[in-house]
Amino acid sequence: MNYTDLATHLLDLGERLQKHSRKIEGDKVGRSAKKLAQAVERFEDTLDSFLASRKSGELLLETMLRSPSAKRHLTVELLKKGLREVAGKRLQAEELSAARKEFVEVLHANEKGSQGGKFLRAAFEEAACVEPGGKDKVSLQREFVRLGGLSDEEYEKEIVKRTFGELRRLAATNGIKFTDRTGKQRLMALIRRFAIRAAMNISFDE
Amino acid sequence: MSARVLAFINFKGGVGKTATVINIGATLAKLHRKKVLVVDLDPQSNSSVWLMRPDRWRQHVAKGQRSTFQIFDDALLGKDRFNFDDAVVKGVETWTGFTDLPRLHLLPASVELLRIEDRIHELRAPANYQVLERALGARFKEYDFVLLDCPPNLYSTTKNAVFCADNCVVPYVPDYLSLSGFHVLAEQVAELREKFSGHLPGRRKPNIGALIVSHYRQTGNVFRLAINELEISMANLQAIGLLSQDAVLLEPYVRHCVRVAESTSEHLPVILYAPGSIGAQDYSDLTQNVLNHFDSTK
Repeated sequence: MNYTDLATHLLDLGERLQKHSRKIEGDKVGRSAKKLAQAVERFEDTLDSFLASRKSGELLLETMLRSPSAKRHLTVELLKKGLREVAGKRLQAEELSAARKEFVEVLHANEKGSQGGKFLRAAFEEAACVEPGGKDKVSLQREFVRLGGLSDEEYEKEIVKRTFGELRRLAATNGIKFTDRTGKQRLMALIRRFAIRAAMNISFDE
Repeated sequence: MSARVLAFINFKGGVGKTATVINIGATLAKLHRKKVLVVDLDPQSNSSVWLMRPDRWRQHVAKGQRSTFQIFDDALLGKDRFNFDDAVVKGVETWTGFTDLPRLHLLPASVELLRIEDRIHELRAPANYQVLERALGARFKEYDFVLLDCPPNLYSTTKNAVFCADNCVVPYVPDYLSLSGFHVLAEQVAELREKFSGHLPGRRKPNIGALIVSHYRQTGNVFRLAINELEISMANLQAIGLLSQDAVLLEPYVRHCVRVAESTSEHLPVILYAPGSIGAQDYSDLTQNVLNHFDSTK
């Protein structure tokens, strides 16, 4: 059922009730009507609160705070920055859940819920952005494939000229995992192995 | 309103086409307040049964009515039974029995779509790949985004989707089998672009605009190396003109998440079913980057 169906149902019911209201009698229908009236009242409160929060922008704030992005990107520092920028206030809490509560309360008191929601949305957008690797990455990937196409002798000759730092950069850019304890010889062997694989695997593009 | 129409294609199965369509669509609708239409073109009807309870879906598309099948069937029989307003399902039914995500609309598929391939040759080119555009093109204007969930092949329904689309998006699992298939896919899309070019006056030619990585695992070297090989392959394909210069590998990579699998049984997108899960977080950030990328290339 959707809300339009519910609205139609309530309108139909209202019309029938109105039409027969003076003829209805008895405990059974009275008890049921009482329950319905209580449920309608509760629903009205919920609906009014939803519509008010939508109008004031509180809904956007709530949606942002409950979003998957909040789980990943929301920090006390971000909330502090937000409160300072949006309401010119200082956030006191140092723990995330308390900070979150204070953030909402202060914004609510200052009627800045909408701006708070917009601040969080912009912050989450910025946090989700990924900078492209740039030309350096592309050239290191090309170099990797070229190394994979060399014979063992050619590779030996070329690779020994590289500094340890250059090798680490080449390996890291091309997805090779290593640790601080990985030595130069081991790194050269890893680069050789995976460069041959990359050259072979992308050969159908040539 | 001018919709951005994206066709999610890959002839390899199990790469996360449907999960990507559903979860990006839901995130656009919920968090970015975009009006989104998901068009299910796969006879397996996975998008449809993800967003609809199976009994409601069966009743809705009984005998292929009110589904994408009817669009093709009408074109083949020269009939005009398909009614968009009757066919489209608005919002997602939650456990309360009421709908949520009112901005997310679905045009469901039915299994009868399986029969279309055997009959579509009755229509001559270009009519055989313009069926979808002719039936839905005018309605696309009512949306911000139209996401076409294609079957795992490059047959007629997928060709129709590519013809309609501003861009293709390729969901991708980082392994060698996907890598080898991607080259063929890029060639096929380039071929379609040539084939369609005379029939798309004043329009962008369909191309692969983005790749999206699914089922990613951070353990070990395996996936990082496979993604590196994909990036190298993309650069090579761009160099030889088989892939557009605008094509990017979008991040973040969507990690394997059991909550996404569970959300299919609840018939809800993961951002409604488990908003705190890593799946929801990945799709949320990914959707932001889908918006940024396709806004910048519009």
